[in-house]
Amino acid sequence: MQSQTRRVDRVGIVVAALLAVLAGVVIWDMTTLTISQTYGVGPKAMPIVVASGLALLSIGNLVLAFRGGGEEREQPTMLPILLILGGLGAVIALIGIGGGFIPAVTILFAATAAAFGRRAILIDLAIGFVLGTAAYLMFAKLLSLSLPMGPLERLF
Amino acid sequence: MSVVKFAWSAALAATMATVLATSAAAQMELRIIAPAAPGGGWDQTARSLQQAMTAEKLVKSAQVVNIPGAGGTVGLAQFVNAKGDGNTLMVNGFVMVGAILLNKSPVNLSQVTPIARLTEETQVIVVPANSPIKDAKDLAAAVKKDVARVTFAGGSAGGADHIMAGMFVGASGGEAAKVNYVPFSGGGESLAAILGGRVTAGISGYGEYEGQIKTGRLRAIGVSSPNRLPGVDVPTFKEQGIELVLTNWRSLVAAPGISDAQKAALTALVEKTVKSNAWQEQLKQKGWDNAYLSADAFTAFLKNEIVRVGDVLKSLGLVKS
Amino acid sequence: MDPISALAQGLTVALQPMNLLFALVGVLLGTAVGVLPGIGPALTVALLLPVTFKLDPAGSLIMFAGIYYGGMYGGSTTAILINTPGESASLATALEGNKMAKAGRGGPALATAAIGSFVAGTIATIGIVFLAPWLVEVAIRFGPEDYFALMCVAFITVSATFGASPIRGLTSLFVGLTLGLVGIDKLTGQSRLHFGVPELLDGIEITTLAVGLFAVGEALYVVSRRHLVQDTLEPVRGSLWMTAQDWARSWKPWLRGTLFGFPIGALPAGGAEIPTFLSYSTERRLTKYPQEFGHGAIEGVAGPEAANNASAAGTLVPLLTLGLPTSATAAMLLAGFQQYGLNPGPLLFAERPELVWGLIASLFIANFMLLILNLPLVGLWVRLLSIPQPWLYAGILVFATMGTIAAKPSVVELIMLAVFGVMGYLMRRHDFPIAPVVIGLILGPVAEQQLRRALAISLGDPLVLVQSPMSATLLAIALIALIAPFAMRGLGRFRSDAD
Repeated sequence: MQSQTRRVDRVGIVVAALLAVLAGVVIWDMTTLTISQTYGVGPKAMPIVVASGLALLSIGNLVLAFRGGGEEREQPTMLPILLILGGLGAVIALIGIGGGFIPAVTILFAATAAAFGRRAILIDLAIGFVLGTAAYLMFAKLLSLSLPMGPLERLF
Repeated sequence: MSVVKFAWSAALAATMATVLATSAAAQMELRIIAPAAPGGGWDQTARSLQQAMTAEKLVKSAQVVNIPGAGGTVGLAQFVNAKGDGNTLMVNGFVMVGAILLNKSPVNLSQVTPIARLTEETQVIVVPANSPIKDAKDLAAAVKKDVARVTFAGGSAGGADHIMAGMFVGASGGEAAKVNYVPFSGGGESLAAILGGRVTAGISGYGEYEGQIKTGRLRAIGVSSPNRLPGVDVPTFKEQGIELVLTNWRSLVAAPGISDAQKAALTALVEKTVKSNAWQEQLKQKGWDNAYLSADAFTAFLKNEIVRVGDVLKSLGLVKS
Repeated sequence: MDPISALAQGLTVALQPMNLLFALVGVLLGTAVGVLPGIGPALTVALLLPVTFKLDPAGSLIMFAGIYYGGMYGGSTTAILINTPGESASLATALEGNKMAKAGRGGPALATAAIGSFVAGTIATIGIVFLAPWLVEVAIRFGPEDYFALMCVAFITVSATFGASPIRGLTSLFVGLTLGLVGIDKLTGQSRLHFGVPELLDGIEITTLAVGLFAVGEALYVVSRRHLVQDTLEPVRGSLWMTAQDWARSWKPWLRGTLFGFPIGALPAGGAEIPTFLSYSTERRLTKYPQEFGHGAIEGVAGPEAANNASAAGTLVPLLTLGLPTSATAAMLLAGFQQYGLNPGPLLFAERPELVWGLIASLFIANFMLLILNLPLVGLWVRLLSIPQPWLYAGILVFATMGTIAAKPSVVELIMLAVFGVMGYLMRRHDFPIAPVVIGLILGPVAEQQLRRALAISLGDPLVLVQSPMSATLLAIALIALIAPFAMRGLGRFRSDAD
């Protein structure tokens, strides 16, 4: 439909802008380095190379964007994405406040399953709980790996 | 008189506290923080302590928690937040002293409660077997002649090996800031660089190069301990007229703001552990040297080391004064 | 003692029932941890060290070697089936392997990976027996400038993973290089791009980036398009096993992969990633079916898988002959030797031949066990894909989270996982290739450090880069590889003009 008319690729412009910002950040960070190496090349050389590359690529992406041709992409459904990210957010929050590994992954499991269209939240929570507990027991107890502990994990 | 009386009652109270504390320790659910990933020296120390304590039934349980990152400063930053937690110990050591300065860590070791120094490892300088450098004096002469051309291979920048390179150059009359120190990631890589003759000399813990020294592929030109290591025919730097004494020690600290009773309990627990057969067996198995210092002696020692390491790092130009 | 009779003596040690059992436990454990992203053989051996102290040295070392080889097999399974490389060494496998799985050819992909690993592992272990003393002498002559030249060759090969547009590929690569800057500069101890977050001082974990971009990104992408494409994944389309054509297309990549993997693995800073990508790009150039690359070409699985197993064996060369640990796992194996007061090296070969040769012989046995263990499992593994999609992806995310937090228990690490997941989703949606980001993170810091080491040793003289015959040769290869495609194209155009 629209792909026949040559139009500016907006995504390309965003990418170009992001690359330019990234190049700027790398250069700014480079200027904060105070110690250079006594012999040979110092720690500032690589940031300069990387930032130059990013800047050139920013221009390259911009040129491509104005040449157009970015085909219309179908709209994604945002809700499932947000569900999964919400699940990950819950994991981060729970582990951050010391809620432990098992409850965190239980929520993540159920949220992901729901994102993929399942509507049996209780069953999914149960499966996630069993999976998380099994994984916890196997790795924390058998291999003495230190996974985050909450009230529940302390029971084992 | 009242002073004597006071001292008596204080001593009595301290003894009481220790007795109480010791019996309390057997019920303790101890956490040992290893501020490093599983497998490294600090992690192995933590796990050996765990084994010794549980084998001797000195605690009810002991759990090792790994908080790796940035020479232990990530773990330290979390640990200083555990104010008044009398059930947690953290392993640390010489390397953390330097890492705090290098990483401009917002927290430092004055914020925690020193409990004990546990072990130490002697550092060694080696050269490839076919090197014209025969002893530490030769190396010192080479440094004096042209410091830039004497390349040292070792571990990460600002670590024990780097600090030792700086001290060696300083002690042999060179300018520490001009030391040509090349950090390698991992012992294997630096060992290859030494064996392959890419660098003049290499610095590491004695244990790491022991096998190569014994087979004669590397020549040890000096050890950093005050006296020769038992059963090892390598002279100290001191013997060779170079003022360089440094050991890579490991220690235990407790959380900030713990009560005297909590501190006494932890100190007593560690002392008992260090004297146990289980711990001696761990030392033998891992090849670590016992370097036990009790809380007070270690506190003074630590203060000293912090100043000394800071001075060397400044002279190396790694830390701006 | 000549190698063959020594090996025969080693076999009698390795074939003792107890040692066979240790080898079996090792390969099973290794496969299990290899499958999980983030938890690798190094971590497993580290955690098992205190437990195994009471066992006899031969037994526990045999088990550790089994874990090592098993981990290399296990990593490929998840890479192929669910596009989540268990180790960074299986990244290259994921590229074509997962495409094959999606086309219902997961069976042959797993089979060529397993058989290729066996072939490579066996040849490389034979290499240990006969070439080790000679190879290690070459390996320690490899200096910083030679590594830098090797990195240059590796950088050229990255372009094989770029996909359709070079600008987009380079963009991905430079994002990876930027990520590689994060953290403490190994040579001066200063930190770059850490924004005051102490967790960033150690740099970005390769596994966190790979798992985020591949596993989480993939989950987000699939879920966002669920209403558009009903992804009915058929686990098996056609034969479950390799066809005659699959065999014909696999055997040469296996051998070539071994040739890349074994010597580079033996280098003190060689690693497993570079040979796998060298193998991938070589197969891509040599294949008779270039149109299949990017859609599931079996050569792209066979080569890298052989390369990663051969490199695992290569790592043992410096470890056994010199006591030189050149990978995290090798360092743990060394610790395993040392806890019995044993120091690997020429002395150990003379003093405890039964132990060293028993270990080498058990490598053959571990390899064989893994083959007969994995081939029947192919059918079972492929069934994993028939798990209902919601549970499959939920399970993947749970294990991705666990792997990330097990490697580095910190909330910051999980936040990075989520951010890289979103990045992976956006890159998929807008057609930016993902593999170059990870390669940039792997290669960038190594190339920078080796170059700077070389220049520090030479006091800044750049001629050092071409003075060593090895680095000069490698740089020449890199140059030819860079120019050849353009030259060929120019030549082609010239010919078509002449027509």
